[in-house]
Amino acid sequence: MESLIILLSPLISFILISFFGKSIGDKISGIITSLAGAVSFVFSLGAVFRSLEEPYHIKLYKFLPLEGYDLSVGFYFDPLSSITSAVVTFVATLIFVYSIGYMHHEFGNWTFKFYAYLSLFLFAMLLIVLSDNLLGIFFGWEGVGLASYLLIGYYHQQLKASNASLEAFIMNRIGDWLFIFGIISCFLIFNSLDILTIFNKIPSADPYFLGLATLLLFGGAVGKSGQLPLHTWLPNAMAGPTPVSALLHAATMVAAGVYMIARLYPLFDAAPQTLKFVALIGGLTALFAALAATSHTDIKKIIAFSTMSQLGYMFLGLGVGDPEGAMYHLTTHAFFKALLFLAAGSVITAFHHKLYDIYSFGGLKRYMPVTYAGFTVGALSLAGVFPLSGFWSKDRLIGSYYEVSLVWGLLGSVVAFITAYYIFREGFVVFHGEERFRNRVGYEIREVGSEMKIPVLVLLVMSVIAGLAEGWYMKAVGGMEKSIHLDVALSSFILASLGIASAYVIFVKRIPNPEKAYSALKILHTTLKEQFFTEKLYHRVLAVGYLKGSKIVHTVGEKHIVDGFVNLLATAVQNVGKNLRFAQPGKLNWYAFGMVGGLSFLVVLLFVLLFTE
Amino acid sequence: MKTIPVEAYFAVSTALFVLGLLGMIVRRNLVTVLMSLELALNAVNVAFVGADYHMGLVEGQIFALFIIALAAAEAAVGLGIIIAIFRYRLVDSTDEITDMRG
Repeated sequence: MESLIILLSPLISFILISFFGKSIGDKISGIITSLAGAVSFVFSLGAVFRSLEEPYHIKLYKFLPLEGYDLSVGFYFDPLSSITSAVVTFVATLIFVYSIGYMHHEFGNWTFKFYAYLSLFLFAMLLIVLSDNLLGIFFGWEGVGLASYLLIGYYHQQLKASNASLEAFIMNRIGDWLFIFGIISCFLIFNSLDILTIFNKIPSADPYFLGLATLLLFGGAVGKSGQLPLHTWLPNAMAGPTPVSALLHAATMVAAGVYMIARLYPLFDAAPQTLKFVALIGGLTALFAALAATSHTDIKKIIAFSTMSQLGYMFLGLGVGDPEGAMYHLTTHAFFKALLFLAAGSVITAFHHKLYDIYSFGGLKRYMPVTYAGFTVGALSLAGVFPLSGFWSKDRLIGSYYEVSLVWGLLGSVVAFITAYYIFREGFVVFHGEERFRNRVGYEIREVGSEMKIPVLVLLVMSVIAGLAEGWYMKAVGGMEKSIHLDVALSSFILASLGIASAYVIFVKRIPNPEKAYSALKILHTTLKEQFFTEKLYHRVLAVGYLKGSKIVHTVGEKHIVDGFVNLLATAVQNVGKNLRFAQPGKLNWYAFGMVGGLSFLVVLLFVLLFTE
Repeated sequence: MKTIPVEAYFAVSTALFVLGLLGMIVRRNLVTVLMSLELALNAVNVAFVGADYHMGLVEGQIFALFIIALAAAEAAVGLGIIIAIFRYRLVDSTDEITDMRG
């Protein structure tokens, strides 16, 4: 039962801060949140060790008995869920500690709300990770949706942020809508929502219906993980504070989609058509987002697109039948992506939360050595450079792609090249070169405080060493241990080096001059930056089209048909009344005559009825 | 002694009742309308007592007594209302009291 503390501690922290946050103060709230995360992490480690010996179940209670099945609250700890929970709580705790430094300038402005939301976010994510039934997962699913809405829109005075939070919520709603239908179809097929019961019943299920159900479940994952075509919210979600972005992208939220499919993998395994679709979406997103990342200039958006691209990698991995590889990449990605985001956040903090464009920085490595080191290690890991963690997980995935088909393998390699290029483009522009911020800011650039440095350093270490745990991880979650493909490893290493080298040549040596190159390739540049105009398409065609359509329906349907009918009815009643006014002259004699007439009529009627059979 | 047939009672009663109704419908004076109402009530009394006598019962006569008492009370209240209307409006014709006109 002590494993329940994993879930309870962020929940208690959320409740505590929501009720007493104002009186205990913002800084204490932050510390409570971090402590709750740490407690959760410690107990997650305990759960990992226990579940490695034997997976175990905690059934709490039944809350809704249905015919033949009881909806219940319960948690299932197997190596997959407990390791994921440990990773999630570990990264989240570091981000919480970091956020105490990051949000320092906001203290006094009800910042305890921020920590309450963070705790809620962690709790909801753990609900997804640990629940033993689909309904529990769905509760967590909605919980992270809510928390992400609150956190992305945390700077609600800015129109950009509140729009972004709405967009995230609506895009997620589309996914959640598919997801709940997926859950309902699972219930119809298996008459149970319990994950283990479902797995036992898979052989007897109708494959076509199962395909539909898994497709719907995948729809939920597409929304939550920001895959095509529900991707536009993910880069816009950068309007939130940077720790939120890090949390969203590394530990919670977007990981939920990948994790959900890995968790339900036996279900997806029985529906090979769905897996092909998963692979297709994943592959397309990986390429698409990597291309978009090459031409963005927002320090956080580039990393956001990188997340999208890496999630695409994971979905492709799931699609080609390597869920353990995908989950392993998710784990290493959590470390190095959180590291990248926290480094970016440190840069933003150093510039007093005013500058976001990478071209307004430059030459920061002299001023912020720790951040520089953090970003570099994160970028190297993301690019998949030996021997950092990203190398091992990415290599395993690309190896799996090549095993299934050459097309996916080549796609993986190409994306690996682009990844190395765009992340080092950002790194070189921000940390090398001339100091372009000189004429913009009057203050000295300083390294951030230790509460922000320490999480960066811890994540740096984890990004370096997490790759060594591959064998242990695969054994724990029961994945096949694949020996490293030397040709794949070598080729992706060369591609990554090429990507880094080209970024170095272009943005440090300036051959060719990047500004000139951008203006020469303006069409390509704009197309990539606008994400192939998908966002514009959604905004201009779908959103505006919807508004126009509503307006037409309003003017025609509402004003003319509905209102017209109601008004017609009213006029008709009025006219009838007007014409019947003469029957109500107000004269006593007239009424008496009416009474006599009516009575006579009734009497006559009675006689007619009685005597004419 | 030659008995009066029951039809005669009914004929008188019907005639009185129709007269009462007609009076209510055609007369405009409030007091006359009230008197016509009394006439219609008493027409019913005649029918009750006549039928009662013919069948050798007493319930009809008791009814008639009740109706007389009722009519007395009603006449008192009705006349009171009419006098009140007259005092406030100085009219006694039903044509001029048309507050209920639609």
